[in-house]
Amino acid sequence: MRKIEFLGSWPKAIVHLDGDAFFASCEQAVHPEYRGKPVVTGKERGIVAAASYEAKRLGISRGVSLWDVKRICPDAIIVPSDYETYSLFSKRMFAIMRRFSPVVEEYSIDEGFVDLTGLQRPFHASYEGIARQMKQTVEKELGITVSVGLSVSKVLAKIGSKWKKPSGFVSLPTTAIFDYLAKTPVEKIWGIGEKTAAYCEKLGIQTALQFAEKNEDYIKKHFIKPQYEIWQELNGYSVYSVTAEEKTDYASISKTKTFTPPSKEKAFVYAQLIKNLENACIKARRHHLVAGKVVAFLKTQEYSYSGLEATLNRLSSFPMDIAPLAKEMFEKIFEENVPYRATGIVLVDLQPEGNVQMSLFESPLRVSRLQRLYQAIDTLAQKMGKHTVFLGATAHAHKIPQHILERGDVPVRKLNRLDGETIRKHLSIPMLMNKGTQR
Amino acid sequence: MPYTKKLLLQIKQLKRFFLENKRMPSYRELGALIHVNSLSAVQYLIQRLSMLGVVQKDSLGKLIPGRLFNPVKVLGTVRAGFPSPAEEENVDTISLDDWLIENKESTFMLKVSGDSMIDAGILPGDMVILDKGKNPKIGDVVVAEVDREWTIKYFEKRGEEIVLTPANKKYPLIHPKEELRIAGVVTAVVRKY
Repeated sequence: MRKIEFLGSWPKAIVHLDGDAFFASCEQAVHPEYRGKPVVTGKERGIVAAASYEAKRLGISRGVSLWDVKRICPDAIIVPSDYETYSLFSKRMFAIMRRFSPVVEEYSIDEGFVDLTGLQRPFHASYEGIARQMKQTVEKELGITVSVGLSVSKVLAKIGSKWKKPSGFVSLPTTAIFDYLAKTPVEKIWGIGEKTAAYCEKLGIQTALQFAEKNEDYIKKHFIKPQYEIWQELNGYSVYSVTAEEKTDYASISKTKTFTPPSKEKAFVYAQLIKNLENACIKARRHHLVAGKVVAFLKTQEYSYSGLEATLNRLSSFPMDIAPLAKEMFEKIFEENVPYRATGIVLVDLQPEGNVQMSLFESPLRVSRLQRLYQAIDTLAQKMGKHTVFLGATAHAHKIPQHILERGDVPVRKLNRLDGETIRKHLSIPMLMNKGTQR
Repeated sequence: MPYTKKLLLQIKQLKRFFLENKRMPSYRELGALIHVNSLSAVQYLIQRLSMLGVVQKDSLGKLIPGRLFNPVKVLGTVRAGFPSPAEEENVDTISLDDWLIENKESTFMLKVSGDSMIDAGILPGDMVILDKGKNPKIGDVVVAEVDREWTIKYFEKRGEEIVLTPANKKYPLIHPKEELRIAGVVTAVVRKY
């Protein structure tokens, strides 16, 4: 590891900021009676979407069924997801991060990267000082805790933020990298999946340090480009830049929705599938992408999946084009008398729209009509709300709520609509909630 | 009928005449204004202007101003010639949001449920706006966590001790025993009727 020495301590300064049990933390921030208690979100779905650290300590994690939660901890507070509040918190978190640097990447709803390189002078502070101040500001202004990793590359920053949760702060200048890597198992590295980890084990690589210490030729010989890049990042060479733009180059778009209670009714399950297709297409059109292939899958009550993939004749982002294929696949995978709990659609082989090749036997007129139709549908959706116009096949899914709810399954914020607010328009300010203010 | 460039210019000349002379021109004067000698050309113009409602004719056939000086959307470009008092003042405006909210990221709301702050004019059902980012100063109205509930009180000092005081004689002072959690400083109260 001679290379590191001439890089200096901070060839770059990249922060990874990660919300701790984000959804559950948001709940605890607005409900004082939840603080210090095991809180679980996802009541409307029947499984845990997020668990507070108090719940995690009891062994409750994401994906556990609520029935198990009640068995493990009868006192757990189980609340329906209040995505409106979570996304308000998320937007604010990123807005606060942007006070420190213009280069902020919103990696997901609860985590992001910030490039601080070169900002010590304007802040009159060290990178560590700036990163700590960022963490403190988020925690003070939002009332949630976050974990922060500061290092010289994204992969290393992420190791830092994962190091000690919740509310951890780990700074990894080049001089400190190896101590941490020695204690990090290779499968905990961001970007190394199960298969790669298993392969590493065959090569006798167990820790991140062992991986990082291999020489370049060895890595190039045994691995492919993504792992080579991770190797560079681990050695302090930043190859993944912090990208401030909104992500538009999706490799795939997937939409999955669970519904309760599970259903054996063919028309209903099909309607759910096509609704996902509509949602996936809306997202594709928003990003001006068209799909070449489509995957449809169903998930049974026993959590087993069955799915198929099909190739489109012409790249498309219109449900009317893709629905016939989805129907064919659905007919093949749907089984009578099996209760299903979720359906999903994945659009793959995405490409920018505009260079769509017509297939030989298709009328260009029909395509341009479809384009105009969906332009109109998207305009209507903007004005009147998503799914103002939908395919007849999905009527079943639109008519009834996704989940048959008990009254307590609606977020408190929704039950407390202010005078003048409508279903679609709410004040964009999070509300603190008291026990007394509900229902 | 469209407003041609020429027509707009003629309206402008007409307006200038009116402002200078405090009266509308005669047909002949209008002719001189727009550089035509023929009365029928003047008459044609007047016919067009009256169809647009810019001028009207009185019972004697003399011109009186129509919508000439009222703000009409299509006349926007013409109107620009007149200084408006607002432009003279040259102030910027702020929205109610900007006025009520100092720091967008740290602002929260809470619906008031009790009457403990009634003498401070904070009534049950009011919405208070609070800033989590501010450090409370003595005398501020704050939202604090007491017995696992949000409560609105004055942030005050008795001797060395911090106390939360209500604005209603019916309620006692609160002496925080251990750690006092302040959710934020109240910066505004909103009541919608």
